[in-house]
Amino acid sequence: MSAHVLSNVVVGLLFVLGIATGVFVRRNRLWREALFELWRRRRVSILVIGVYVLVALLDSIAWVGGGDVEGVAAHEARSVIDRIFEGTREASYSAPLAATSFYGKEPLKAPSRHLLGTDILGRDVFHRTLKGARVALLIGGVTSAIAIPLALLLGVSAGYFGGRLDDVVFFVMSTLASMPGLLLLIALILALGKGTWQICLALGVTSWVGLCRVTRGEAFKLRELDYVQAARALGVSELRIVWRHVLPNLMHLVIITFVLMFSGLVLSEAILAYLGIGLDGSWGQMIDQARDELSRDPVIWWNITAAGTALFALLLAVNFVGDALRDILDPRTLREDL
Amino acid sequence: MQGDRSRPDRPDRPDRAGRPGRPGERRLRAAGKGGLFGLAAALAVWGLACSNNPYPDADETRAVYYTSISEAPRTLDPAKAYNVTAHAITGNVYDKLLEYHYLKRPYELIPSLAKELPVAEELPDGRVRYRFVLREGLVFAEDPCFELGGEGRKTREILASDVAFQLSRVADPATNSPVVDPFSNIQGFREFGKRLSEAREADAAFAEKPLREQYEAAGGIEGVATPDDLTLEVTLAAAYPQILYWFAMGFTTPVPWEAVEYYDGVSNERFDDHPVGSGPFRISRYDKQSRIVLERNPRWYGAEHPEWRAPGAVYPSEGEPGDAEKGLLDAAGRPLPFIDRIEFRREKESIPLFNKFLQGYYDSSGIIKESFDKVIRDDRLSPEMAAMGVRLDKSISPGVYYLGFNMEDPVLGAEGGDRSRKLRQAISLAVDAQGWIDLFLNGRGVLAQTPVPPGLFGYDPDYQNPARVLDRDRARELLVDAGYPGGIDPETDRPLRITFDTPSTSSAQLLRDQFIADGLREIGLDVQIAATTYNQFQKKVKDGSYQLFFWGWSADYPDPENFYFLLTCDMRQSQGGGPNTANFCDPEFEALFERMRVRGNDEERMEVIREMRALLERERPWVELLHPESYALLHGWLDHVKTFGMSFPMHKYRAIDTEARALARDEWNRPVTWPAYALAAVGVAIVLPGIFTFFRERQ
Repeated sequence: MSAHVLSNVVVGLLFVLGIATGVFVRRNRLWREALFELWRRRRVSILVIGVYVLVALLDSIAWVGGGDVEGVAAHEARSVIDRIFEGTREASYSAPLAATSFYGKEPLKAPSRHLLGTDILGRDVFHRTLKGARVALLIGGVTSAIAIPLALLLGVSAGYFGGRLDDVVFFVMSTLASMPGLLLLIALILALGKGTWQICLALGVTSWVGLCRVTRGEAFKLRELDYVQAARALGVSELRIVWRHVLPNLMHLVIITFVLMFSGLVLSEAILAYLGIGLDGSWGQMIDQARDELSRDPVIWWNITAAGTALFALLLAVNFVGDALRDILDPRTLREDL
Repeated sequence: MQGDRSRPDRPDRPDRAGRPGRPGERRLRAAGKGGLFGLAAALAVWGLACSNNPYPDADETRAVYYTSISEAPRTLDPAKAYNVTAHAITGNVYDKLLEYHYLKRPYELIPSLAKELPVAEELPDGRVRYRFVLREGLVFAEDPCFELGGEGRKTREILASDVAFQLSRVADPATNSPVVDPFSNIQGFREFGKRLSEAREADAAFAEKPLREQYEAAGGIEGVATPDDLTLEVTLAAAYPQILYWFAMGFTTPVPWEAVEYYDGVSNERFDDHPVGSGPFRISRYDKQSRIVLERNPRWYGAEHPEWRAPGAVYPSEGEPGDAEKGLLDAAGRPLPFIDRIEFRREKESIPLFNKFLQGYYDSSGIIKESFDKVIRDDRLSPEMAAMGVRLDKSISPGVYYLGFNMEDPVLGAEGGDRSRKLRQAISLAVDAQGWIDLFLNGRGVLAQTPVPPGLFGYDPDYQNPARVLDRDRARELLVDAGYPGGIDPETDRPLRITFDTPSTSSAQLLRDQFIADGLREIGLDVQIAATTYNQFQKKVKDGSYQLFFWGWSADYPDPENFYFLLTCDMRQSQGGGPNTANFCDPEFEALFERMRVRGNDEERMEVIREMRALLERERPWVELLHPESYALLHGWLDHVKTFGMSFPMHKYRAIDTEARALARDEWNRPVTWPAYALAAVGVAIVLPGIFTFFRERQ
């Protein structure tokens, strides 16, 4: 299955998943109220995240053919976003909304249409910035999809069952936590090779420890609670107890950690890009490539500004939502007015 | 990870700062603070008397040439030193039998320690002999090591046997010289090395003997003879005219056996750090951490025998057309060197280095990337720099960058026959080298038409390679002829996929590769950049698993042979790791190369080169991209500078107007005094109220 088909299928699945979640939330009073509260508190942030998600999804829907392109591009899948910016490639730098190129002042192919100018290869910076959203969400999403189940599985089993298993899990956790994160990450990427999945895997391996520690502690505590004891006394199987009584009581932690971890992951990728081992098309790479441009005179500021702002806005919004979520979901920080 | 944040905060500690102190305590503290500021202000005012000159004041009026090195060379042993920094020192300290004419291009050899250029003498059995005759009365620079030859001796005469000794050192496997290969053209060169290691293995006592005795016992190199004290005969097994260029390099300089024996044996220092040569300069201070100082060698033949007017000891009176207009012939006939001392200062960072150049403390400088657009406008010096009297020296380095095809690849290589040939031709027509130069090198490069760079014999400025124009329409037609219409591979019905292997993973490099890949994607070829680290790239090359690659070559010596040999069968990467990474091997080319190799620089050689380039036009193992151009900045007080390109230091030709330099330094380094006064004023403003309060309280 080629990459764009997979991408389209994933978009479809996400759509179905979104509807299912919507239905679930509508039926469940607790979640419905929590989400309503979140919306009340963080309207702007949620809208910003929504825009990013929409752009990323549009950039994930791709098909071959159509449009007016030459060369290899005609045989490659191009996304909705790519198609919007078709035929706007210039020779080299041009300033935002300029009608001529930056050096030499030659007329542009698409004068005054480059909202954020073009980069050294003449690519539209706004286009590249939008495409960065998909990479960022992909990193955050896929890595979380690797790290969270891993952390839950290990954390809950260690905390709930204890004993030898707990020793082993705790040992692995301590070992990983005592290694310098960035070095471990670089070593993993050098071993696995460069690529989206490899980088997500490497980030996943290095980021599950935090959540694992929290869930282990929580499961350890939950196991002693009265309703769990009662269930055990009634002869309910261990797995069923974990499924019915422990996991649901951990979900708020998972959601909070997911949101906060997400911004950390996107940032980690930017650091990796700066070291030359990031993903193609990420904002980190754009920033890295723009390093020399800042020392040019006159300075070329639009690349780094666009990528930096896009990164900053997403992370800020995610962090705002994460903090609000914690306030809403974590019973210990429950407020009087809720 | 972030879970800890949910814990309730610890109650705040009582705020100490907020606690009201006793009135007296607060005043005292204020007075102490004021005192500190006052002291700082006093220091600042005192500091005004100093200047930022990093050199002793006494040197202000002396002809000292200041330049920088980023790291001290690992070795100054002329049998091993093979990089630019080391050559900057060894080239000044060691004179060779031959050297290069300073101004003429194409590069030309002139005699140095030798009386004249030797002529190849063909022996009946196909061997070729060169006879070098040394000048009489040459002596080494004074050095304590010569005490080995007799009490109180400070120097001694240079003999042909000193050159033979150095050649034996190059052949000696224990020296580990990087250039054994070209010297192996000398008869018996490798065999000598082999005999030497065998004798050492067989007899431990032999290995302990001084090197000179070991070499004598091993019988010397067969092709190197010294019929008398001043004559050196070098016999080559077969014709190799390029050998003369090697006699202009440190590998063939006369080296006194005393120096090797003394520094590597008796004194337990290292010969690597103690060069003893015969050049115009000698080392007077060698401090690897901070500075290396060379000063005039009073025993240099140019200084001892000005009446010889030897070509290497007086300023040349002819050069390239245009040199006279540039003032490069003003000093014609004057004795060398013009400067008294060369100071190499260690500078680890580029920005301070460049700033010191701007302050006049270095005499020349490259252009750092960070400041390129400030220094150069529209390919010329910016008005600010021109106003400082700085000159821009552009020179084309004798090197070439190219895209190579792996000729052993089934799709692109020789076995694909005409189909692959057309594909290579199409790719060659779709690479926009000029765009690449403009975007990524700030225009610093000359489009390459053949492997041979300007300044070398065989470079033809009027030649335009028909395969190296940017013509994507023609490229598309060629793809149709090759059976890839629109770039589509009929087997897979997808655009033909070609990997572009590059040895760097940096984002900056990726942009450069992307530019080339995008150009090829335009004609329908699916070029995928495979960026790996340098080591992984080396491994790929070793395994032969590469298709298209980016590579460069820089001349060892100025002869077209040094570039065309990169395409010969013997040098194939796949056959023992030679530098022919393209693995090109063509019998017709081979025959032409052999004719070109042994021919002197004449019209017939040029004709052969024309045939070779015509063959390359068709076969396209390379897509020639560019010859790099280097820009150097020179201060106005520096005279007679012509960039040489290859790594031979030409300091003895340079001159410095010390008065102009002193004036400029004075003007550019006027201390800015107002911050010091401002600081002093602030200090006073802080101290005074304290003093007033103190006295008032006292009353």
